[in-house]
Amino acid sequence: MRVIRSMIDTASADFRRNAAHNRDLVARFRERQDAARHARPQRDLERLARQGKMRPRERIEKLLDPGTPFLELSSLAANMAYEGDSPSASSVTGIGVVSGREVMIRSDDSTVKGGAWYPLTAKKIVRALEIAMENRLPVVHLCDSAGGFLQLQSQVFPDKYMAGRIFRNQSHLSRLGVKQLALVFGHCTAGGAYIPALSDYSVIVRGTGAVFLGGPPLVRAATGEEVSVEELGGADMHTSVSGTCDYPAASEDEAIHIGREIVAQWDRPTRWNCQQETPEPPLYDPQEIYGIVPDDIKKQFDMREIIARIVDGSRFHEYQPAYGTTLICGFANIWGFKVGILANNGVLFNDSSLKGAHFIELCNQNNTPLVFLQNITGYMIGREYERRGITKDGAKMIMAQSCSRVPKFTVMCNGSFGAGNYGMCGRAFDSRLLLTWPNHQIGVMGGDQAANTLAEVKANQMRRDGGEVDADVLERVWEDTRAAYQDQLSAYYSTSELWDDGIIDPVDTRNALGIAISASLNAPLGEPGYGVFRF
Amino acid sequence: MALKLKLEDGVHEVEIVARRPHLVVRVDGRLHTVADLGPAGDGSGTVTLDGADLAFERIARAGACLVRIDGRTIAVDVVDPFDEGEGAGGGRDEILAPMPGAVVHVHKAAGDPVVRGEAVLTIESMKLQTTLVAPRDGELIAVLKGEGDTFEKDEVIARLAPVEGGQ
Repeated sequence: MRVIRSMIDTASADFRRNAAHNRDLVARFRERQDAARHARPQRDLERLARQGKMRPRERIEKLLDPGTPFLELSSLAANMAYEGDSPSASSVTGIGVVSGREVMIRSDDSTVKGGAWYPLTAKKIVRALEIAMENRLPVVHLCDSAGGFLQLQSQVFPDKYMAGRIFRNQSHLSRLGVKQLALVFGHCTAGGAYIPALSDYSVIVRGTGAVFLGGPPLVRAATGEEVSVEELGGADMHTSVSGTCDYPAASEDEAIHIGREIVAQWDRPTRWNCQQETPEPPLYDPQEIYGIVPDDIKKQFDMREIIARIVDGSRFHEYQPAYGTTLICGFANIWGFKVGILANNGVLFNDSSLKGAHFIELCNQNNTPLVFLQNITGYMIGREYERRGITKDGAKMIMAQSCSRVPKFTVMCNGSFGAGNYGMCGRAFDSRLLLTWPNHQIGVMGGDQAANTLAEVKANQMRRDGGEVDADVLERVWEDTRAAYQDQLSAYYSTSELWDDGIIDPVDTRNALGIAISASLNAPLGEPGYGVFRF
Repeated sequence: MALKLKLEDGVHEVEIVARRPHLVVRVDGRLHTVADLGPAGDGSGTVTLDGADLAFERIARAGACLVRIDGRTIAVDVVDPFDEGEGAGGGRDEILAPMPGAVVHVHKAAGDPVVRGEAVLTIESMKLQTTLVAPRDGELIAVLKGEGDTFEKDEVIARLAPVEGGQ
């Protein structure tokens, strides 16, 4: 494979301006992430200390093998919801290594409203368990939650992908032979009680851990029975009488110790045989990504420059280098793993769509995981392109991509607009992991385009009604539409709603992909086969 | 497997004839035996070439390599068959519009020298500003569109002086 020859001039004015802009974006992201992770009212922290409890991230730190990486997911979930009352959607999820095994860690966060589940908390947990299912990753649950956030119960409880889905996914995980361990540090109330009950193994801390369908206040209200927490669902009752939990622990530290020993008993999955080489770092400094991504989403940049800063030795075997040049396709290695990369270098035309579809088929034939690097304004529109079948060529790409049997990974490197989001494996298309850069924007179209389109529709309507076109009304429609769009286009809105698995610093892309690809090898490849391609 | 290496004095063909018991290479038609070659990578090393010991230093970056032997530094470029095949638009005289759109910025004027990959114009189409670059090294003889001008797909936007001798 050839080394990508970078054309970037790191001394140029453009490079410096972009670098300043992107470093600022990343600094602001880090600030928000730090606040979501650590900023809590003193009162809540004191309560935790009084109860002798650790904070969720301290527990995770102790659970993980020392010196191993932890890929935290969706650290800014719910950042634009509930007026900021649910940092990280009141939960921590991520992929890490415990007793030498790759696992999904899922933790409640009792430093926020007693760890109560907001609607987006449920969505985040469901997604974490989905990742566990797709990658056959064992799950360690760190339980400490008051239950559903009652004020918003209609958005937490009843629908298909709400809280019930957590327990459905737990059952299916167990059926797939994927182990689950629950460490019960605090309360598991109501639905939450099923988490340890549906885990294959559970440990409960004496004094603070408790599991019950209805807590003491609910029991009193329902039947008049007076009962203490310990008596109703404490460690000794559950490990010696009901058998709902397996191991009592004298403290949180000991629970974690027992938990690590349990994980150490688990057999290791047979990983499928992805082509691997000895990993080597990229030849070019990944920090240079900051200077490459422009300070304006409208400005195009060469995605090869990004690939050169993500892949091993900056080596890239480009497929069809002279055909359909607005979509770069090719083979490379990331942390040693062979991958097929599809990266946007402009609008998708007929030829680039066909090339993409063909390359996806090659990767499926070759058992090569797919990495999509999105910076897409859409498929080309206009009479000539429709006559040439741009829609059916885009459909071929979507068909090949949707039916892929190899794992897929998506990184939102910049824009993601229109149907291009679909062809390039957007959220709906089951990426094993979808990660976002802070500069990312997403929408069915850009803010200006949506405003123009709706203003155009409004003008036509006024003409149809036989009246004059009122410029003030049009102006207002334009401004209102654009303002409404702008907020929702941002990476922060996207990650708040869990349209991704988290915002990352672009420099961390290589490491995040390495962890994700490694995790994906735990699950067998899917069945080969596609539907009908429209030729 | 034959490799082409470009040195100061031109391109040399190197073919690996045997790997065991010794590495035997054919360089421009002559056979050489290479023994005791240490590990690959940057730094200093020694090698036995046709029975004689030879010390060298090397450093490799992005497909190019610098080797220092006998007090001389030699730049070695591996000729890439991908370059030989010439990638997208390689070697053409014209810069064509990849899609309908409008010119946003003109970076170069007729008479300017350009190197392959250098920006000539920035266009806007489909919400995206794209830079059109020189397909090869050469001199611009015409830039046919100015800022604000629109164009159709495949319209010629700029021209390079034809290579002498033609193709």
